[in-house]
Amino acid sequence: MPTIPLNQPEGEAGFEVVEHTADWALRVWGRSLRELFTSASTGMSSLLVADLESIPLDIERYLELDAFDAETLLVDWLSELAYWAEDEQIVFREFALEINSNNALAATIRGGRADELVKHIKAVTYHNLAIEKTEYGVEATIVFDV
Amino acid sequence: MVSSEDFKQLTPYLYEVPKSYREDMRVPARFYADAELLQAIKNDKSLTQLVNTATMPGIVQYALAMPDIHQGYGFPIGGVIATQLPDGVISPGGVGYDINCGVRLLGTHLDREELSPFLDDLATRLYANCPSGMGKGGSIKLAKGELDRLVEDGARWALGRGFATEQDLEHTEENGRIEGADAGQVSRRAMQRGAGQVGTLGAGNHFIEVDVVDETFDQMAADRMGLSPGRIVVQIHCGSRGFGHQVCTDYVRRFQQVIHKYGISIPDRELVCAPLSSKDGQAYLAAMKAAANYAFANRQVLTHHIRRSFEQVLAGKVDNHHLYQIYDIAHNMAKIEEHKVDGEMMEVCVHRKGATRAFGPGSQVLPSNYRDIGQPVLVPGSMGTASWVLLGTEGSMERTFGSTCHGAGRTMSRTRAKKQVWGGDLKKELEEAGIHIRAGSLPGLAEEAPIAYKDVDRVVAVVHGAGIAKKLARLVPVAVIKG
Repeated sequence: MPTIPLNQPEGEAGFEVVEHTADWALRVWGRSLRELFTSASTGMSSLLVADLESIPLDIERYLELDAFDAETLLVDWLSELAYWAEDEQIVFREFALEINSNNALAATIRGGRADELVKHIKAVTYHNLAIEKTEYGVEATIVFDV
Repeated sequence: MVSSEDFKQLTPYLYEVPKSYREDMRVPARFYADAELLQAIKNDKSLTQLVNTATMPGIVQYALAMPDIHQGYGFPIGGVIATQLPDGVISPGGVGYDINCGVRLLGTHLDREELSPFLDDLATRLYANCPSGMGKGGSIKLAKGELDRLVEDGARWALGRGFATEQDLEHTEENGRIEGADAGQVSRRAMQRGAGQVGTLGAGNHFIEVDVVDETFDQMAADRMGLSPGRIVVQIHCGSRGFGHQVCTDYVRRFQQVIHKYGISIPDRELVCAPLSSKDGQAYLAAMKAAANYAFANRQVLTHHIRRSFEQVLAGKVDNHHLYQIYDIAHNMAKIEEHKVDGEMMEVCVHRKGATRAFGPGSQVLPSNYRDIGQPVLVPGSMGTASWVLLGTEGSMERTFGSTCHGAGRTMSRTRAKKQVWGGDLKKELEEAGIHIRAGSLPGLAEEAPIAYKDVDRVVAVVHGAGIAKKLARLVPVAVIKG
């Protein structure tokens, strides 16, 4: 699994929680779309449980998704993960993914069952969702309905 | 950002942003507030969002917002818009993710004193019998194909399963079943999510509350509902669970491309929409109705669990432990209705997101015992504060497409609420005020702290003062059950 220094606002890829009146939002970034997607899924997983590092790595899944644009693909990606958390209480924290120029994604993900979820992400919204180019790569803010 | 120079005050409680404010507005934008609520409204993006809704194709008269307005996704919470059929649009974001999130009010034959010795046990029993929180479990087991029937029949499905009475259905908006729901327009993922959640409360701002009537304002009308000061009632606040959320997700996704088909441009992706005359528009409407029916069924099953709880704790100990339905309303919904616009009756699609239908006296869709007084409107306050029963008025029919506020409206983010409030302290505070709390999550409790919400008494004073609803009864909590 590739390791990316995450959760460091100054780093090359990462995420941070931002204020939003009714729900939860994450600003995510990376040098590439692949890193942004990984930051997003790691960030979302860190909202779901109190201690992400303590989640085991004994469940592995493979998924393929495609969408007509990168933002929709991002929502689809996070929605799958949110569904597994809701349905089976499984939280993922290792992600090896590839995204091609046609907005198709293939990923192998690893995680485990959480004893307790601290948040229920009911939906990933499109609110103000735009993957934007920055000096260092790409960035977006995602709002979750909790 | 919309600022004070951009809007004018029309009446003590009504403000308007003129159409000229922005080029893409098709109608003016109006909102209800008082001077204090106005300060909170100017602090987030809700007015910009309101202005955005005024760009919806087919919108008539004005885009509206209630005094509990706050920032949402695309549409503000507290927003009401009407689009003209046949080609006016329907927008999933104008309904909300939690389709038919709503409130049900149950009446009892008990006064506070009579219930007092048993209240703590009752709170415990309600928490045990009404599945809540994030884990799975406790939901009603469905047979193969039964979910399809549930979403097409709503509360009528529940009647068939023995979870409801005819009186319950008669005293529910739409009689608990919206005609035209189609399980075929609902995705497999939505069905998967819905299958395991029937009869569950969820978490977040959903709750079951045992309240006592604090004050009534029109005793003749209150008597129709069996409400008088000191009387115990029960509120349920919840919606269509994962099912509705998935329907909204699916159609917001589908409509991202659809808008290009119809040449519609929008300021926010969450404002995507489709003409009601299109296959896409009709598909969403049918799926939305399915989710709405799911929520009616859900609140009905919870009613059954509440009745069981009262039976288990109170049978033989009080004169009459039965509960009856006062009313059940939706506050996230789109409805095809007839309203007078510029003097003419017109068929419109009224979107109410965080707003409640408030039909006035004489409306034929109301149950016979409310037809002359107007529709009950149930307005839950934030946890531990008051809730209200209002009545729809002629004023709401004339001014707001028969709509009014839905609750207190948030003013503070969940992040900030959690930083400022510790759930354990809040629980203690509420208990010291005499409120029995059963909550599954202390951080979750903190996110719902009253300081994170507007003052519901103010919100209600505004709608009452503006004539778009009438005060009937004020309720205060004695027990709160949350996930």
